[in-house]
Amino acid sequence: MRSSRCSAARPRQPRRSELATSLDRGSAVSGSAATPTKSSAPSRLTAWLRDAAPPALVFIGFIALWQIACTFFNVPRFLLPSPYDIAEAWWENQPGLTNSLISTFLAALAGFAGAIVVGMSVALLMSQSKLIERCIFPYAVLLQTIPIVAIAPLIVIWLGAGAPAVIAISFLISLFPIITNTTAGLLSTDHNLVAMFELYNASWWQRMVKLKFPAALPYIMTGLRISSGLAVIGAIVGEFIAGIGGRGGGIGFVITEAAGRLRMPYLFAAALTSSLLGIAIFIMVSYASARFLRHWHESAVRREL
Amino acid sequence: MVVARPDGMRSPSPVPDSEPLIAIDRVGKTYANGTVALEEISFDVHEGQFVSLVGPSGCGKSTLLRMVAGLGPITAGKILVEGLPPRRARQEKADTAFVFQDANLMPWRTVMGNVELPLELRGIGKTERRATVMQALETVGLADVTKAYPRELSGGMRMRVSLARALAAHPRLLLMDEPFGALDEITRQRLNGELLRLCALANWTVVFVTHNVFEAVYLSTRILVMSARPGRIIAEVPVPLPHPRVPEIRTDPEFTRVVREVVTLLGSAAETAEEE
Repeated sequence: MRSSRCSAARPRQPRRSELATSLDRGSAVSGSAATPTKSSAPSRLTAWLRDAAPPALVFIGFIALWQIACTFFNVPRFLLPSPYDIAEAWWENQPGLTNSLISTFLAALAGFAGAIVVGMSVALLMSQSKLIERCIFPYAVLLQTIPIVAIAPLIVIWLGAGAPAVIAISFLISLFPIITNTTAGLLSTDHNLVAMFELYNASWWQRMVKLKFPAALPYIMTGLRISSGLAVIGAIVGEFIAGIGGRGGGIGFVITEAAGRLRMPYLFAAALTSSLLGIAIFIMVSYASARFLRHWHESAVRREL
Repeated sequence: MVVARPDGMRSPSPVPDSEPLIAIDRVGKTYANGTVALEEISFDVHEGQFVSLVGPSGCGKSTLLRMVAGLGPITAGKILVEGLPPRRARQEKADTAFVFQDANLMPWRTVMGNVELPLELRGIGKTERRATVMQALETVGLADVTKAYPRELSGGMRMRVSLARALAAHPRLLLMDEPFGALDEITRQRLNGELLRLCALANWTVVFVTHNVFEAVYLSTRILVMSARPGRIIAEVPVPLPHPRVPEIRTDPEFTRVVREVVTLLGSAAETAEEE
């Protein structure tokens, strides 16, 4: 968890030279490059099968092996439940798990949204001047290095157990990648484009909205992808410490409870549900990222050779 | 010098005492680290002229062009653009366009979006903007790729988008910083011809930075030859070739003579630089 939080990965900027070389440079015949003719494009279904089939087969094989091993060696349920036991526990506790899932999802979403708003505002502020950056950045790093588990009890004391504390922890844990990536993005605008905006007398607002922000989008999307996963982890960790039981109890609470009572199949079911939640949020952010960048950024462009 | 325009128009001939569009007077540039980039640069550019700056790389010709555009401070002397300091001229007159070393397009915008940027920044409404942009794109022959993204275009096409963007801004003065440097020779020659056609059409005054002597001779009415750093103007070469300049002019003996003269001057500039 800790290491992934630190990796404020920087996306590759589309370097001009790379773009240039990949294109037919001589041809200036209008229209020829813009509308590539599609020849025998594979159907959507075949493409989907080709993408989804290999991991699905691995999954099925793994589950089968697990089930066989549990049955064959007669592994006790409280040590390692078989996939069948887990599925059964999941099915029996279906309404409760769904409620927990919704509650954790909402907490993670709230924390993530807060981190986006605050993180991007801080980044915007830091990108305005070197001095401001120097003033704020060390504290952003400090925030990042304090183990969240160490300050969680403090948050519970301040905000009380329950949703606000869970959201606060999710927020804190997902804030840093957004700050660093957005700042890096806002500071790495192509200087020729900056000069051009100056030449056409762009206002500060125009420069931010029409140039800096769109140019930073690939970086921002990388930050969001890292943070989205962290927000879910943050919400679950928050529920470990500050979660409350009953109907509003999230996945984190379910996990602590199931572990306490040694209800292993239930514990596994809850853990799997929480990872599904993380995957769902990750897919949502990736989808948004692909939509925003598909036309122009190397990371999202489908290249035909 | 009176220059016959391809469309039959005559460019306004600079009356000797008329006010030049650009007046550069003993301009120098010293960077904060003490490097002297430019020294004692003086020349005028009159309306309708096509002036090229030719010099070895690193001689400060791009820096000079940027200073004319009001980018970066001038450390000695002064530049007047339409009678005003560059930055003020840019803000008050808003009729200078700059074409950069490469097409300098925003990859996240379509061709249309890129070309309409100058108008958008001026706060011109969408419908009016579209009409001007379509006209500019038709002029450069790109009217059918308005929805394409820059990465889908060839280098030559991207450069034309860049020209259309300058055209849409309706400038009087066009500053070009090695615009065709990254293109292959065939595309470069074709775009050279296109540029001359646009100049005649839009009545641009152009200051053109290049290190390609053939290109400079083909395009210019005057060539200013610069020395290696610190950049100085060592000679001014008029190009007495007639307009319109057809591609075949490149084999004209007069063309060759001017090329040889500029090349010789550049050679001597490089030698003095090596001696220092």
